[in-house]
Amino acid sequence: MTKKTRLKIEQILHLADLAGVKLTEAEVKKYQDQLSQTIEYVSNLKNYHVGKAKITYQTTNLSNIFFPDGEKNQRAFSISEALLNAKNKKDNFFKTKKIL
Amino acid sequence: MNITGYTLLEIIKLVKKRQITIPEVTSFFYNRIKKFNQRLNAFITVLDYQQIKPGIPIAVKDNFCTKGIKTTAASKVLADFISPYESTVTDKLIKNGLTIIGKTNMDAWAHGSSTETSDFGPTKNPWNIDYSPGGSSGGSVAAVSAYLVPAAIGSETAGSIRQPASWSGVIGLKPTYGRVSRYGLIAMGSSLDCPGPLTISVADAAFLLKVIAGKDNYDATTSFQEVPDYLKKLEKNQKFVIGITDEYFEGVLPEIKNKIFTCLNIFRKLGHKIKKIKLISPKYAISVYTIIQRAEVSSNLARYDGIRFGNPREFLGSEAKKRIMLGTYTLSHGYYESFYKKAQQFRTLIIEDYIKAFKEVDFIISPTTPTTAFKLGEFEKYPFFGELMDMLNEPASVAGLPAINLPAGLDKNNLPIGMQIVGPYFYEDRILNLANQFEKETDYFGVIKKGILRYQ
Repeated sequence: MTKKTRLKIEQILHLADLAGVKLTEAEVKKYQDQLSQTIEYVSNLKNYHVGKAKITYQTTNLSNIFFPDGEKNQRAFSISEALLNAKNKKDNFFKTKKIL
Repeated sequence: MNITGYTLLEIIKLVKKRQITIPEVTSFFYNRIKKFNQRLNAFITVLDYQQIKPGIPIAVKDNFCTKGIKTTAASKVLADFISPYESTVTDKLIKNGLTIIGKTNMDAWAHGSSTETSDFGPTKNPWNIDYSPGGSSGGSVAAVSAYLVPAAIGSETAGSIRQPASWSGVIGLKPTYGRVSRYGLIAMGSSLDCPGPLTISVADAAFLLKVIAGKDNYDATTSFQEVPDYLKKLEKNQKFVIGITDEYFEGVLPEIKNKIFTCLNIFRKLGHKIKKIKLISPKYAISVYTIIQRAEVSSNLARYDGIRFGNPREFLGSEAKKRIMLGTYTLSHGYYESFYKKAQQFRTLIIEDYIKAFKEVDFIISPTTPTTAFKLGEFEKYPFFGELMDMLNEPASVAGLPAINLPAGLDKNNLPIGMQIVGPYFYEDRILNLANQFEKETDYFGVIKKGILRYQ
């Protein structure tokens, strides 16, 4: 058996920061327990020797798929469609908070 | 005309023969939804009667983008999101004479197996409203089980069609990965996600699969393989070799095991052979799935920034945050090798294991779920409840294989038991053929009919 995994509070806060989510104090505690338990469980893979098994990224073995030449891309949105659900917009643009 | 319990295909036939009109069919189901949805909370959105376009009404899970109709994925982040485009699946349904009557409830972002993580309240199991219908396609199965619609579309990442179909006693088909387009399906685990039908007959599932399947230029992972006429493929009974494996009966309630053994005897009687095989224990697939799915979730849900559409990330629910964080962890520098990469390698072993098995047998049959429905509220007690409930579904999902849930009887609490048939890539036609033989022979021991009759 692998030794018990226990995430530290700082790790939880760092993960939340990376993931762009805000946590309440209660959530920090809850996630510390629950994420630790999940990681503990999935660590069972460590006991199984995968050898030089290849990595599977695509289960049905497709590769090099391109959009057919000459076909019209019907996915394109008009400006009004693209802005339809934006809460903050100005003229034809999305409005965001200042970055710099 | 009272059409209660008629299959989708039977209704289409009645309409063609002019024995019933489309508006009559629409108001029939509309009235049933009005009467029973409050009790079940199967729908997040029910269209106003005037809003419903002409066609045979069916329900679609609320993670399919529907142009001009609210699409929430059961998350407050998208509480007022109106999709500016139509998903390929709903587009195909509409072009084939069907119409969307409402959008069904689900676990938020499809994260869960009980429909309790929905930001719009849980769906109730139509068989007993104290119980969960399963999930994440819980609203879709409840709507079909109580016959609020003749059929529905769900989606599965690992178990989200089969597991709720099992708990609520309907037919749920998860096609091969890439058989059905994911374009316009709100992404959860992109290497796993798969739309599929939930129905009350195998023929309906065959019909709907034919409608929604096929190559789509807007989903590069869709297959070039031709879509067979699944309905036609039901006509002639085929004989198969069915594999069973001890690993898929471990930890399963004895009552469920016994029902599956009864079903296997029925298959024997119908002339099929049963053969014992060995497969890698599903307990590893749980880990493989959990790691891959969380990683893909953390990437897919990064787009919800509240700038272009939807509400800010503060609106994300507890389960979503937990999953994003675990995915962030397993993709982090230092952990990537031991978790994500290892899981993707293990995925290859699972695929090879199945390919080897399918040299000996045509299908693998097992219970769909290790237990019948849980009471609402139970899932809170487990950090990854869904993965445990879906453990018998996850290996096939990780490998991208097709599978179906068929009702196999009721337990002592009068809750449905489900049987699962898993087949090789693109074997949907043969899975449906075997399922159809089972339907003709058993009529699911009356489960589907009893479910409908509870809602009069």
